[in-house]
Amino acid sequence: MNTGAQGRFLQRALPIAGVTIGVLLIAGPFLATIIRSLLVWDGDSVAIEAGNFLRLFGDPRFVSAALNTLIAGSCTTILALLLGFSLAWLVARTDMPGRSWLETANLVPFFLSPYVGAISWIYLLAPHGGLLPWLARTYLGVSLEWLDIYSMGGVIFVLTLFYTPYVYLFVIGPLRQMDAALEDAARVHGASFWYTLSHITLPLVMPALLSAGLIVFVTSAGLFDVPLALASPRGIRFMPTEIFSMVQYPSDLGRAAAFGIVVLTVTIVLTLLQRRFIANRRFDTVTGKGYRPRQIRLRTGGKIAALTLEAVYVGGGVILPLVALLMVSFSKLWTGRFLWRTATTGNFEYVLTKYDLTRTAITNSLFLALVGATWGVALAVLQSYYLTRGNPKRRALVDALLSLPLGIPGIILGLGFLILAIRTPLYSTLTIILIAYIARFFPFATRTVTAMFLAINPELEQSARSAGASWLQTMRLIVLPLLRPALIAAWLMLFVIFIRELGATILLYAQGTETISVAMVVLSERSSGYVAALAVVQLVMLLAAFAIMRLTRTSMSQG
Amino acid sequence: MTDRFVHISHLTKRFGDHTAVRNVSFEVPRGSTLALLGPSGCGKTTILRCLAGLETPDGGTIEIAGIPVFDSAQRIDLMPEKRELGIVFQSYAVWPHMTVAENVAFPLKVRGMGKAERLERASRMLDIVGLKGFEHRSATLVSGGQQQRIALARALVAEPRLVLFDEALSNLDAQLREQMRLELRLLQERLGFTAIYVTHDQAEAFGLADTVVLMNQGAIETMGPARDVFRRPATPFVARFFGLNVLEATLLGRIEGTPYVEVALGAHLTTRARAGSGLVASVGDPVLACIRKEHVRVEQAPMPDSYAGTIEAASFLGVAEEYIVKIDEIAIRATRPAAGFARGDSVHVGMSPDDWIVLQPGETA
Repeated sequence: MNTGAQGRFLQRALPIAGVTIGVLLIAGPFLATIIRSLLVWDGDSVAIEAGNFLRLFGDPRFVSAALNTLIAGSCTTILALLLGFSLAWLVARTDMPGRSWLETANLVPFFLSPYVGAISWIYLLAPHGGLLPWLARTYLGVSLEWLDIYSMGGVIFVLTLFYTPYVYLFVIGPLRQMDAALEDAARVHGASFWYTLSHITLPLVMPALLSAGLIVFVTSAGLFDVPLALASPRGIRFMPTEIFSMVQYPSDLGRAAAFGIVVLTVTIVLTLLQRRFIANRRFDTVTGKGYRPRQIRLRTGGKIAALTLEAVYVGGGVILPLVALLMVSFSKLWTGRFLWRTATTGNFEYVLTKYDLTRTAITNSLFLALVGATWGVALAVLQSYYLTRGNPKRRALVDALLSLPLGIPGIILGLGFLILAIRTPLYSTLTIILIAYIARFFPFATRTVTAMFLAINPELEQSARSAGASWLQTMRLIVLPLLRPALIAAWLMLFVIFIRELGATILLYAQGTETISVAMVVLSERSSGYVAALAVVQLVMLLAAFAIMRLTRTSMSQG
Repeated sequence: MTDRFVHISHLTKRFGDHTAVRNVSFEVPRGSTLALLGPSGCGKTTILRCLAGLETPDGGTIEIAGIPVFDSAQRIDLMPEKRELGIVFQSYAVWPHMTVAENVAFPLKVRGMGKAERLERASRMLDIVGLKGFEHRSATLVSGGQQQRIALARALVAEPRLVLFDEALSNLDAQLREQMRLELRLLQERLGFTAIYVTHDQAEAFGLADTVVLMNQGAIETMGPARDVFRRPATPFVARFFGLNVLEATLLGRIEGTPYVEVALGAHLTTRARAGSGLVASVGDPVLACIRKEHVRVEQAPMPDSYAGTIEAASFLGVAEEYIVKIDEIAIRATRPAAGFARGDSVHVGMSPDDWIVLQPGETA
């Protein structure tokens, strides 16, 4: 029958189309980068050779950039693991005062822009004109001049603030769901509290810690925002900033592509190693009986220590940057301290109404975030359908392929799309930025939607089909409504990411297609007041998305 | 002479507004076994966790081997690791990141024993629980029953004074459970440890324990030697928990000089019955008449002192058959070897006065 065949066609073709688009979005820039890295121009003739790689490896700037990136990535990973595990453990397992409130507060940096975080810390801790050194000198008589945010230490510090929530999110679930008897058995059989924590609890969350550690390493090492703000001014080289400068005039795309291939290889090898490791040790920590892990009662000293750690983290990651940002945005001229009598809303008026660059940037960012998040979620639904209902033999491979961009630095993907688009009409359009955004970040949405899809019993769809609904009707009336919480969460996540994206945009923007983050970079040379005002505007958008996410999650648990 | 090895006195534990354990006291002699029996949520596991030091009670005292491990008045609360106990959990709690031998040797390791010696003792213990040769396997790659044995070996390896079992057999399938029950009893007699079992399964409680404590809503409902607790239910809750028929009746009179009373169930059914302990009702008061299903004889032919009834429902259980028989408006459940009666069949029902027990109705319905 005609209609039957049509229905079956849609059911198979649409998910496959989703997967195909995903694969093309990854393969396109990937192949472009490989090919470009092997092309060497000599006058008008092109040769395929390894010259780009040879020039790259022989360049001391490459060695120093690679080394600095490795150091920053490793230190950030170690610090974020320590801090993230400690905070998750305090929230999940102890009676720390205010933990229900702090549980959310610990996540806020996850939603903020690392670039804005870095510039806020410049306002706070620049060697000349920083707020904190001034406060320390005036009120405590202590000199903080030796603390220089423009340094390797500053980069690691700000990266740690922003990547701690990744670890926190990875381990808080296992810490909560772990069979309490595993720890209780150790205590009863003679192990002390600390021995149990180090020999039972920690090994049990090790798979989650390793996954988190890998993600933090590859993403923090690949982040463009923080080195741009804190390392470039002092000429400290990092991988992302080095690739950025190779693309600037006089550009050397071949060498940049070669660098990109090196980074991609490291990322993919690490990801594969982690996958193998996780597959080898599947810890079943689900409880048989379902009593929750015991809440550990902190003594007074422990409570003080716990709250101090929280104060340092939430203070350093959220409150201090926010205060500094607001002060600068309302100051006519930032001199390192806030003066009420010169306070002005002029910066906001200027960036919101008067200045073409910032007005365009705000419109562009909103357009990219709204349209991009919607396309990304649509793609995610189709891919998730394939990953949970499609051909079981191909699912694992497709899943591995579609997860690839998770670890690829934005600047590398941006470079790939730049190479692809450079002599086409797409070059310097919003469309190419939109495509790059979706390509880099759709796996986040696909992961979220797939997790929820797995929880939906296929019999719910089969019942609808038996009751006479077509595949499309079943999707519309059964599947999508059931997926709604995941769709909202995925959409908001993409919105947040797109509003603050910088690494890919910085290579793809042109006059007229600036985004908020790009405008901040462009303006950072000129006026800290405009930058701060623009950052506050961006912050409002991000926090609004965060608030909606928390609210919808509440209604989810109530429904 | 009873050597009271474990002594719990006036133990109370609250979780917020909910009182999980209410003023519970009991003792366990050295080398003896006790079962805490009751439906889920009755507080039995909480008592066990208080004993182990995993929960802090709100009041009362706990003494193990003459040493107070908890005393609310004197602010004594020993850490779990200082109580020198063994424990087996329902989920087994076998550590997935260690081998079988490392799991079993753990209590010896944290007590500072050298590697060679502790592995040697772990091997011996594994031999005893029937897992010889499993030393170097990964602990998660063995079956549920084997994990159970690992947990048991781990609990016993340091020769603790007291071993606690928290629903230890509940996750096993029926056949394996029966086998483990017998093995556990033999092991306990052989090694002579004192044991406390928490269970919701009466067969497990009776099979494992010398003394049974039946709990209800945080308090002790009845306790005593296993046979006594089972044979002569002390309260309507106990009777219902063990699955007896519990029927509303009226006390017609006491028979002087005997432990018997006369009761009426409905309009036509009157019988002599044993008076339960604590029966204070006077003539004409409502009481509860209880009889075990196995003691209700259902036959085609009349028996002496039998009543005519009708089969209301029949269900085939394999070896036995369960019936609901109606005598006028009274519905009584009966179990007997399969006889093939069907709904609507007329039968005769015989019940001996010695099998009836009359209890004072309590507030716990």
